[in-house]
Amino acid sequence: MSKLSFRARALDASKPLPVFRCEDLPDLNEYASINRAVPQMPTGMEKEEESEHHLQRAISAQQVYGEKRDNMVIPVPEAESNISYYDSLYPGEFRMPKQLIHIQPFSLDTEQPDYDLDSDDEAFVNKLRKKMEITPLQFEEMIDRLEKGSGQQLVTLQEAKLLLKEDDDLIREVFDYWTRKRKACKSASLIPVVKQEKRDGSSTNDPYVAFRRRTEKMQTRKNRKNDEASYEKMLKLRRDLSRAVTILEMIKRREKSKRELLHLTLEIVEKRYSMADFGGEVMAEVLAQRALIKPTYTMPLIPLSSNQFRHQDHLELKDFKPKPEKTEVVRTKRKYEKKPKVLQPSSSVSQQSGHSSLPAFNAKDLNQYDFPSSDEEPFSQMLSGSSEAEEDSDPDGPFAFRRKAGCQYYAPGQGSNWPWCDPGDPRYRYSLTTLTVPHRCVGLARRRVGRGGRFLLDRAHSDLDNVFYGLDPEMHSLPAQSPNGKLASTSESNTSDRPAPPDLGHILLNIKSCRWRHFRPRTLPRDSDSSGLYRGLTRVSMANPRTQTGGSTSQSRTGPGPAPAAALTAEQYQQHQEQLALMQKQQLEQIQQQQAGNAPGLVSKTLDSASAQFAASALVTTEELLAIKAKEEIVLGIGVNGVLPGSGVYKGLHLASAAPAALVNTSPPAAVAATTTANTAAPAFHQPSAANSSGMTAQTPSGHGAAAQVLMGNSVRLGMSSAGGTVNSITTLNARHIPRTLTAVPPSALKLAAAATANCQVPKVTAASSLDMVVR
Amino acid sequence: MLAGGGRGPIIKKGPYEAQNLEVIEGCRLPVLRKNQENEDEWPLAEILSVKEVASRKLYYVHYIDFNKRLDEWVTPDRLDLKKLQLPKKEAKTPTKNGLPGSRPSSPERDVRKSLDLSLQTPTAPPRGKTVPTPVQNHFTSFTHVTGDITSIGCQNTECTCCCIMGCRTKCINGKRKANCVGTDEDSQDSSDGIPSAPRMTGSLVSDRSHDDIITRMKNIDCIELGRHRLKPWYFSPYPQELTALPILYLCEFCLKYLKSLKCLQRHLTKCNLRHPPGNEIYRKGTISFFEIDGRKNKTYSQNLCLLAKCFLDHKTLYYDTDPFLFYVMTEYDSKGFHIVGYFSKEKESTEDYNVACILTLPPYQRRGYGKLLIEFSYELSKVEGKTGTPEKPLSDLGLLSYRSYWSQTILEILMDLKSDNGERPQITINEISEITSVKKEDVISTLQYLNLINYYKGQYILTLSEDIVEGHERAMHKRHLRIDPKCLHFTPKDWSKRGKW
Repeated sequence: MSKLSFRARALDASKPLPVFRCEDLPDLNEYASINRAVPQMPTGMEKEEESEHHLQRAISAQQVYGEKRDNMVIPVPEAESNISYYDSLYPGEFRMPKQLIHIQPFSLDTEQPDYDLDSDDEAFVNKLRKKMEITPLQFEEMIDRLEKGSGQQLVTLQEAKLLLKEDDDLIREVFDYWTRKRKACKSASLIPVVKQEKRDGSSTNDPYVAFRRRTEKMQTRKNRKNDEASYEKMLKLRRDLSRAVTILEMIKRREKSKRELLHLTLEIVEKRYSMADFGGEVMAEVLAQRALIKPTYTMPLIPLSSNQFRHQDHLELKDFKPKPEKTEVVRTKRKYEKKPKVLQPSSSVSQQSGHSSLPAFNAKDLNQYDFPSSDEEPFSQMLSGSSEAEEDSDPDGPFAFRRKAGCQYYAPGQGSNWPWCDPGDPRYRYSLTTLTVPHRCVGLARRRVGRGGRFLLDRAHSDLDNVFYGLDPEMHSLPAQSPNGKLASTSESNTSDRPAPPDLGHILLNIKSCRWRHFRPRTLPRDSDSSGLYRGLTRVSMANPRTQTGGSTSQSRTGPGPAPAAALTAEQYQQHQEQLALMQKQQLEQIQQQQAGNAPGLVSKTLDSASAQFAASALVTTEELLAIKAKEEIVLGIGVNGVLPGSGVYKGLHLASAAPAALVNTSPPAAVAATTTANTAAPAFHQPSAANSSGMTAQTPSGHGAAAQVLMGNSVRLGMSSAGGTVNSITTLNARHIPRTLTAVPPSALKLAAAATANCQVPKVTAASSLDMVVR
Repeated sequence: MLAGGGRGPIIKKGPYEAQNLEVIEGCRLPVLRKNQENEDEWPLAEILSVKEVASRKLYYVHYIDFNKRLDEWVTPDRLDLKKLQLPKKEAKTPTKNGLPGSRPSSPERDVRKSLDLSLQTPTAPPRGKTVPTPVQNHFTSFTHVTGDITSIGCQNTECTCCCIMGCRTKCINGKRKANCVGTDEDSQDSSDGIPSAPRMTGSLVSDRSHDDIITRMKNIDCIELGRHRLKPWYFSPYPQELTALPILYLCEFCLKYLKSLKCLQRHLTKCNLRHPPGNEIYRKGTISFFEIDGRKNKTYSQNLCLLAKCFLDHKTLYYDTDPFLFYVMTEYDSKGFHIVGYFSKEKESTEDYNVACILTLPPYQRRGYGKLLIEFSYELSKVEGKTGTPEKPLSDLGLLSYRSYWSQTILEILMDLKSDNGERPQITINEISEITSVKKEDVISTLQYLNLINYYKGQYILTLSEDIVEGHERAMHKRHLRIDPKCLHFTPKDWSKRGKW
């Protein structure tokens, strides 16, 4: 043992061990005791068993002899072989395939009964065979079904009849036999099975329970996340599948009722045929009777109406598939909804209503799944005709809306950040429009110049359309009655922020009070002087050469004599600017005076020069003016262009422009109805395109002297209306095409206009005097 | 030793008055049995159960220090009643061969088991005809007889505890026990008596967790499988109603269990299998291997496990077969591919196991098939590029087979080593392990067992004695069944990536 005092190094598995033959190492035995330092490895056996007699004997024998001797093997219970009946039991031969055997998945699932017939069964089957036909396999199958159909409780005879396909006598016989045998049998099943684990866990230690499910799956960590994901996917899949099952169930139900419907229909037809009701009289009679009880939804069941007949015929052609018409109605509807038809919803509406007016068989509940019915397609084709097909195939063609990359598209909001959506908003681009012929109000519209100088009216839909349509076109045209009847054909009102009043009365009031712009082109009366008014297209314009700039875009088509174009020179422009500044100055002074002494409620504002210039330079189109107004809260005059029909009369075109130096007084809201006054100071630039005469023509109509009309340049008329409400307009009957070039405005004319402006300022308008709607 | 016995209420007469003595569970006495040489032997045996068949008593005996597989029902005439020992704990019963370190007697194990039983399942039917009562000798009457919990006084319980402690102390001495405990995760369960499910990996239980009186005894008398009749060695949880049958019939190919020959005949008209229902991955000559997935082919896997359990003591069928692959070795003849043996293997083993259970069916034993199975299992490991080891515990036959295989495999390598450039050939243990796919520990234990490792002049060397070389050559000469790796068509699957077994 002293040799153990030095310890051998631990055995290193990675260190090379030289291999010796013992005969090469005669002195090995001297070192033998050290070998014990090599740790003994466990055998891996159970301790108790390791010491078993036969094993030890075998081990020692092995160690002694190097190889086991025959009598030293571990004894085992004997087994006999060579069962005599083996060959008959396993008949036939099995040739070894050349290739390795490869099992196809599911190839093992043969639909064979698990139950195997025993001798008792055989006797029973043989006995039964004398009475009825039954094969052992058939019997096994029946028992198999009965066994597998039973849980804790046995299958009843009723259930057995459902389970088994055979005829009742056989079922009864086998069932009785099975019940008897099952009761005699102590075990849970006639098919021997390994005991199953019980849910309550009471079978934990039952040695006969085997193959328990592993509750916790053994998982390596890396798989856990993946498993969670796939578990969720499985859940989702399961949900989807169960949904599919539900849908299929419902389809099944639907198809069933459809079949039922068909049968009923057939029956009715047959009955009618048999009673020779070819004219439908009996049917109608019955229908009438039934209608008293159930008026509506018997309809589709009874093929009486011609419409219905047609459907029935169709159905019969279509393999007897009655069709709930409602289905495709809903579908087409959805398609229509997808289409962004903003301006013309009426057509689709009417179409829809047409559809839904069809007799509807209620299959709504199915439609929510949008599940194609078996016969939906042909029918929807028939109903919607080709239009649907066209719609489907890119109705807008190359003009179809396509999203542009990088653009943000907002849903059409309720005017959220789009202030000019509200008709009440001064920036709203559509104004109330009344046509001359036919003489009616067409609601909100805006004008645009089309190709070849055509004027196009874009109409806007409004909830109040009905109201607008009903408006009396003459309402405002009776100056005598209407206190604010306008002398000019175009009336505009300037209103600052005003909520759109919802009620009709209010709207009318607004319209009347011209808080909403109302464009009403007027025909020139044949006798233009009869009323002393010039009716025509007018527009408020300021004496600003820029106006002409804008005005030049307007065209009149019918003017015979082309006007020689005059150019506005820079020099003229400069002069005009100066005059303008002068005018403004005067105005300011006046205003201050007025405010000092007069009408306290009057709010007057003055255009600053910048705005004035801007306004003047504005084109006809209103939106540019709107931009100014947004700042100024003053609605400047907007030219509205109208069409003047009329014999040989020009179709005038007007430029709108701001009343430059005009003082616009906005009365307080309290006085809204009639007191809105505008200072008449605004010189009206009438710009009949026909006016080609160079130089300035001033026409003073019957109005007070203050009113002056100045024809400026070739096409501009400056109209000054007095507070008295006379409209000054000069028209040359021969409306002329206005060249696009700038027309020259003679300085003199400007001057005159300026003077007129200055003079015509009628600052004093009391709230009470309501007539101050001035045509500018 | 019988001092207290006379006073026990179960003993009506003196122990030596054999004719009138009632032999009950727990008694020990010599029982006649034939040994391999067909000679009469009278090894000491313990009565585990008594039953009466046709008014004749039968005794289920366990021969002490013999493997359980030799337990059997014997008629009374084979009992040597003159040497009857009353049920008691006699730890020092001399074993027949007198080998040291003989296994503890089975009653001691049963004491613990029955205690467990009584704690776990109070409703367990009482097995003893007589109720053991406290006697002076505290070591008596604590065998598996104690089914009725009410009869166990607390005194007895304490005594039992003593017994357990004694037993455990005995077991624990020595470091080898520690190693065993390392692989035995369930050992704690039995000591505190609280039942719990066995671990979910592997297919073997180490001892005791299910070693109650029911599973201690064979429950199937005979199995007919194809041409063969098999005498089961151990308990197997076939459906209980089939255990009473004299013969349990199995379909040779699908292994379905049937209660009668008639049923088997009927079954065979419906079953058209002529080989195990899996993919053939190896064939050479008449020997083939089939791979069966325990998840995909549950029925066959379960039937196979039930059959295998008849011959594997420590196999557990507690859980399903999902995490296992089954490699069934067959031998072909004109009737089909007959099962010879099989081994199961975990799809993913955390402990380098390349075999869970391995079995050669008894009719084919001792003909080299076992070694063939083992060799095949290592060939699979070689393809996988891993080393492997069989799951523990090994049975006696398993140990012998594996040791034999390992020895031959390692010796084959050592003998073939050529010395290059005239030096002594040398090899590392790791190299041996890599070449053979035998786990390093098994290599070392084999080298030790063969006594090849020697410490010589400051270093370890391997020495080959003449005996060893001769013995090896003889053995290899007899070993004609070999696996041919070229005939193996096997692609290992990465089961961890599948997420499922």
